[in-house]
Amino acid sequence: MNNAIKQSGAYLEIVSFHLGDQEFCIDIMAIREIRGWAPVTPMPHTPPYVLGLINLRGAVIPVIDMACRLGMKMTEPSERSAIIVTDINGKLVGLLVEQVSDMMTIRGEDLQPAPEIIPEAQRAFCRGIVALEKSMVCFLNLDTVIADELAQAA
Amino acid sequence: MNTSPSAKSNLSVSQRLATLAGAAFLGFGSLLAVGWYQNSRSEAALEKAIVAERGMRTIEDMRFAGMELVLTAMDTIIDRDERKIQPEREAQIKASLELLDANMSALRELASLIGKTGLLANFEADLAQVRKAVATDLKVLVEAGAPAGDFARIDDAIDAGGERMNAVLTELTEAAANLASERTEEARAEASHALLMQAVAGLLAMGAMLALIWFHGNVLRRGILGLRDSMQRILSGDLSTPVPARGRGDEIGEMARSVDLFRVEAIEKRSLEERATAGREEIEQERTRQEAERDQAVARITAAVNVLGQALNQLAEGNMAVAIREPFEGGLDALRRDFNNTVERLSHVLSSVKENTASIESNGRQMRSAADDLARRTERQAASLEQTSAALEEITVTVKTATERAEEASRMVDETRINAEESGRIVGEAIAAMARIEGASNEIGKIINVIDEIAFQTNLLALNAGVEAARAGEAGKGFAVVAQEVRELAQRAAGAAKDIKALVTRSGTEVGTGVKLVQETGDALGRIGVNVARINEHMSSIVMAAREQSTGLHEINSAVAQLDQMTQQNAAMVEETNAASHTLAQDAEKLGELVGQFRHGQAREATIRAAAPVPVPPLVKAAVAKAGAARSGATMAGATMAGAARAGASAGTASAAGGKPVTLRKPAAAAATARPTPSPAKALMGKLAGAFGNNPGSSPSVAASGEKWEEF
Repeated sequence: MNNAIKQSGAYLEIVSFHLGDQEFCIDIMAIREIRGWAPVTPMPHTPPYVLGLINLRGAVIPVIDMACRLGMKMTEPSERSAIIVTDINGKLVGLLVEQVSDMMTIRGEDLQPAPEIIPEAQRAFCRGIVALEKSMVCFLNLDTVIADELAQAA
Repeated sequence: MNTSPSAKSNLSVSQRLATLAGAAFLGFGSLLAVGWYQNSRSEAALEKAIVAERGMRTIEDMRFAGMELVLTAMDTIIDRDERKIQPEREAQIKASLELLDANMSALRELASLIGKTGLLANFEADLAQVRKAVATDLKVLVEAGAPAGDFARIDDAIDAGGERMNAVLTELTEAAANLASERTEEARAEASHALLMQAVAGLLAMGAMLALIWFHGNVLRRGILGLRDSMQRILSGDLSTPVPARGRGDEIGEMARSVDLFRVEAIEKRSLEERATAGREEIEQERTRQEAERDQAVARITAAVNVLGQALNQLAEGNMAVAIREPFEGGLDALRRDFNNTVERLSHVLSSVKENTASIESNGRQMRSAADDLARRTERQAASLEQTSAALEEITVTVKTATERAEEASRMVDETRINAEESGRIVGEAIAAMARIEGASNEIGKIINVIDEIAFQTNLLALNAGVEAARAGEAGKGFAVVAQEVRELAQRAAGAAKDIKALVTRSGTEVGTGVKLVQETGDALGRIGVNVARINEHMSSIVMAAREQSTGLHEINSAVAQLDQMTQQNAAMVEETNAASHTLAQDAEKLGELVGQFRHGQAREATIRAAAPVPVPPLVKAAVAKAGAARSGATMAGATMAGAARAGASAGTASAAGGKPVTLRKPAAAAATARPTPSPAKALMGKLAGAFGNNPGSSPSVAASGEKWEEF
């Protein structure tokens, strides 16, 4: 993008993706790799947003439907869907998203806190809002979105 | 004698000769048979004698052979000291034995002939004993040098056998000699017997023949002499005595019957000649009487003819009051009465002719004017027909043009149909092409999908590269830029692929629309084809109707032409009618004049002859010639107006010549007078013709006008 070369302390590198009509983003440093959709093996007795397991070069990792996790409609996986493999507190988790839309670098001050009218529990998902020229992107807090659940599951 | 007395006179001459020949044949035959029989019997006796003699000689030979055998054996016994039988003696023994054996069969035959076969049984046994003793035992004894006792024994045996054989043979010889002499005797007796028999048979045959000759000769001689006497009597004119021997069955009987027929015919001929002479005299008398009567009749007829001739002359001069007063003789008086009646009736007829003539004159005038009227109308009819014909011609041309147009239209419709079918085929091809385009679009879509997939994968790879670069921190900055560029390229490729996909999808949709439209076009073309076919049917029915119209018009045309021709002929016939009615009027006037002459009773024969025929024939001929010309003109097509004009002109002249036209009563009445049979004029003509049937002067005019009437 335009101002890609900046100091890393002041800049954040993010990857944005679409879930339904909304756009979200996560920190690039949490990402291990991005891969295309592949069928998953369902697991019994799991919450609805846990789609199942995939085999990633020998490692078995769970796949979570992000839309479902965030209280939206279930994503219908297609050829263009993508699985973002993230490393959350040392655990690999696959996130199913509709489309990876962009990779960008933002300044720290561009990340604005979420408005306070949103309840606290829900606000914990969101580290902030990135306001771009055309749209608003919600910067997800993966630790709260995934880690709690993983902790519970564990 | 084989002839019975009842058949004495019924045998024919040939049969009598046959009995003679039969007797002679029988006699000679019996002679020959007796001779042959006796001869055969004496020959058999002689034969037996010869056999017996030959047997005797054979037995003699055998006796000598036996004696020789015994003697040879004796000699051998005597010379027994030589211890060997001499070869010549051995040969002698052998020859004697062979002779005995050879003659054994002859001996047996002779024994059976004589009837002493019993002797032979012992003979054969003896012969065998002797043979054994001589040929075998003796030889053995001699060669062995046996004692004298043995020789004495064998000598006795041989002697005894030889003597017995000799005795048998001697007995047989004597018996054979007896038999031979007996047979010879027998033969001699037979020969003398035969001679006697032959003499008796010959005498009998000669006697029978003599008797037959005497009998038959007498019978034939008597018959022929009787016949000769009878014929001589007929020749000399004695026909009353009948011919004898008519009842005989032979040839002489037939001759007698024929001679009797001659006699009967001579009697009939004599009576016929007598009757013919009487008939001739009667005919002569009858002829003389008839000649006298004929002369009288001729005289009477001549007188009557003279009187009748005078009366007829007066009648010919017109004197209707003539009558014969004096009666004729006999049957001729009927002739006179007939003549008087005829004259009276003729005068009545003439008076009625006078009355009818006036009526014919007035009717003739009316007919003349009616004929003129008819001629004018016929002319107008011909003109109308001409116009009709011309109009029909125009219609025919118009219809023909219409037919041609319709046929052309039909052809064009046909072409259109073919084009429509061709268009249908093209539409099918277009649909197929569209389908191919659709297939190609689908292929393109697949390729685009592959490209899109590649772009997506590239994008993922770039994202991963970006992630790796970010994680590398400061060192991965440059790589992150490259990854970003790659990502943008991948996104552009994906965008382009999406655009192309949209375009291909749209093109597919458009192609589908095109296919639908083309199909609709094909359907529309099919409907056009169906409609065109229907139009074609309509056109062909129109063409057919036009052709039928044309044919109908052609028929109408020919009918009108025929009508035209008939009108022309009618015109010609009207003209003829016109001329004939004029002639009729003139004839009626002349008829009046003729009848007027008779009323005065002074008309001359010459004037009648001159007045009648002169003016009539030229007029009739002219009318006929004109009519002929008009008819021939009418037969030519397109000459109607000229023909009508000519007919009108001739009709005009005819009416002018006929005088004032009288107004017609009715056309129907005029038509009725066209058939003249019941008219008074015809009756009058008949009466006149009957009255003047023999008048050569007036007949041609009447006959001519009558014929012309008959033509109509």
